[in-house]
Amino acid sequence: MGPKAIDVGRHPNIELLTYSEVEAVSGYVGNFSVKIRKKARYVDPEVCNSCNECAKVCPVVKPDEYQMGLGSRKAIYIPYPQAVPCSYILNMDDCLGTTPIACGKCADVCEQECIDYDDRDEIIERDVGAVIVAIGLDVYDPTELDDYGYTRFENVITSMEFERLICAGGPTAGHFIRPTDRERPKRIGFVQCVGSRNAAIGRPYCSNICCMNTIKDTLLLADHYPDLTNTVFYQDIRAFGKSFEDMFQRSKEAGTRYIRGLPGDIEEDPLTRNLLVTVENTTTGKLERHEFDMLVLSVGVIPPKDLAKISGLLTLSKTSDGFFLESHPKLKPIDAPTRGVYFAGFCESPKDIKDSVCQAGAAASRSGALLNAGQITVEAITSYIIEDACTKCGACASVCPYGAIIWEKGQFPVVVEAACAGCGCCGATCKSNAIVMRHFTDEQLIAQIRAILADKPEDKVFVFACNWCSYAGGDMAGISRIHYPSTNRVVRTMCSARVSEDMVLEAFRCGAPIVLVSGCHYADCHYINANRQTVKRVQRLWNKLDRLGIRPERLQLEWISAAEGQKFAKVMVQVEELRKKVTKEEIEQTIKALQEKPKKQRKAKSAKQTEASVSTP
Amino acid sequence: MTKKESFRCMMCGYEFEEPVEPGEDKERTCPMCRSNSIRHMKKRAVKDKTGESDE
Repeated sequence: MGPKAIDVGRHPNIELLTYSEVEAVSGYVGNFSVKIRKKARYVDPEVCNSCNECAKVCPVVKPDEYQMGLGSRKAIYIPYPQAVPCSYILNMDDCLGTTPIACGKCADVCEQECIDYDDRDEIIERDVGAVIVAIGLDVYDPTELDDYGYTRFENVITSMEFERLICAGGPTAGHFIRPTDRERPKRIGFVQCVGSRNAAIGRPYCSNICCMNTIKDTLLLADHYPDLTNTVFYQDIRAFGKSFEDMFQRSKEAGTRYIRGLPGDIEEDPLTRNLLVTVENTTTGKLERHEFDMLVLSVGVIPPKDLAKISGLLTLSKTSDGFFLESHPKLKPIDAPTRGVYFAGFCESPKDIKDSVCQAGAAASRSGALLNAGQITVEAITSYIIEDACTKCGACASVCPYGAIIWEKGQFPVVVEAACAGCGCCGATCKSNAIVMRHFTDEQLIAQIRAILADKPEDKVFVFACNWCSYAGGDMAGISRIHYPSTNRVVRTMCSARVSEDMVLEAFRCGAPIVLVSGCHYADCHYINANRQTVKRVQRLWNKLDRLGIRPERLQLEWISAAEGQKFAKVMVQVEELRKKVTKEEIEQTIKALQEKPKKQRKAKSAKQTEASVSTP
Repeated sequence: MTKKESFRCMMCGYEFEEPVEPGEDKERTCPMCRSNSIRHMKKRAVKDKTGESDE
């Protein structure tokens, strides 16, 4: 990666800000404003010639993070050999002190006079049109899985530590030794899936890279040390990429033994410090015991620790495994749900270098296309504010998953239409009907409800279905010819969050025996996390119905994905069973309980809205 | 701090308890019928940011 980083650093159209952190992002597609903290380096990178004289005299010795703690560094150091810019950094947390100067030796020996103890963090701002999120990954820390003895036995190391030990630029200059006696080990064991595919520790996903990394390591060892024996303990070897199977076969031909089964117990011989591994070989069904000089834990990858912060800055959401959620898993795997934001690499999902490079290229291409177009097309389903009806409460801004509504206390909110995706959550939240979602207005939806329930409402199950998942789930049930009761009547909204309390109550007022609100599963929400507002709303409605003496069971909530035709049909059967239990008297009582106040209120509000919308686009 | 709280399935009526973590973002499903109509029974009437309340 070194030469690539140098190319980036020298490119006339790329400004490389290293040792910097994004503090805030505001704006929207094409008009982002990014606030960046340039951390104090205390060394001028323009002047420093990396002569290393400062590090030679520095008295502070600390574990080197880049060498996984297997080597040491000084308080003034180059983070890693190919760092760009190739300049020293003074870590103030490690330095003996500069106010007053406790040591000052580095500055004394620096002929370039590039060390400045008064250097301070700097906040800079940049205007950008698109953002590519490429924040990488963290590696699983196996200390919590003490079954493998990582915290107890020195000769149990992780795959990352192995990389440093075998690397020519590592702490042992590439001479592979084991930590306890600094002798070259003869028998190495590799344990796969440490921190991956393990639901018990909350990491059920496959880390994607560990199998091939271990296969590569076994080939490397076989090449460097032909007398060494390698054994790999695995659940499944996932060698699915181009030439991967070939590598796997070469590893086996080179003498690596692959045993299907993960170790159950690991002990250390107190004399030799060798490791005794007990494992059930699931291929033979026998319990085996193996002795190794060293054991390498093939650790999985985890979402980077900064993911939550970036998620907040760019209004992104996460999948259940903690990585960023893409706009669409198949059709828009590069795009974030927030327009103008793209993903590259691990932060979206575990992937190898090749896939990361592909995704990075695609992200660059997508953002290039966006910026070169100079203009964007917005769907005609965005929202707008009716100022005459607005009470300036700001509720709309607080629920917008895209941050597309700008509001300050005492001011009218403003919808940034370029950022609005059209979920309609704001419109359903607004108590004063001051937000209109184009083509999915309250009036239009209420009119649909009334029309559907105008005739024999007691025979119908009223369904609100979101455009992307549950409506498509209904389609799937249809095209799959799955039978389900024909009593349901569906009103489509873009998101389940568009369904307001008033719409549900209007359906009951019109005589609906059962109302079903359905949307995407949590992980599939097409509007980041708008359907969480649906849950809150339905929860409030259940409580309200209870208070009004209406059975809350008559309001149902279901998450149905586009592929779940079977589930759609099953839910329709279930709600039909519920419908049969609702009597005419119960419906009449419900209508009576809901009749008075809300209707008057809505009439007044809609009159206000109609009046205001005459003068609004 | 994780706390056990009561839930009721509005589809089949099954009542159950589940740990709830502050700020969790979890899709709930009935352990009996797999429905998502899960009512949080101990939810107090609290005004949220939207100004809407249970009461």
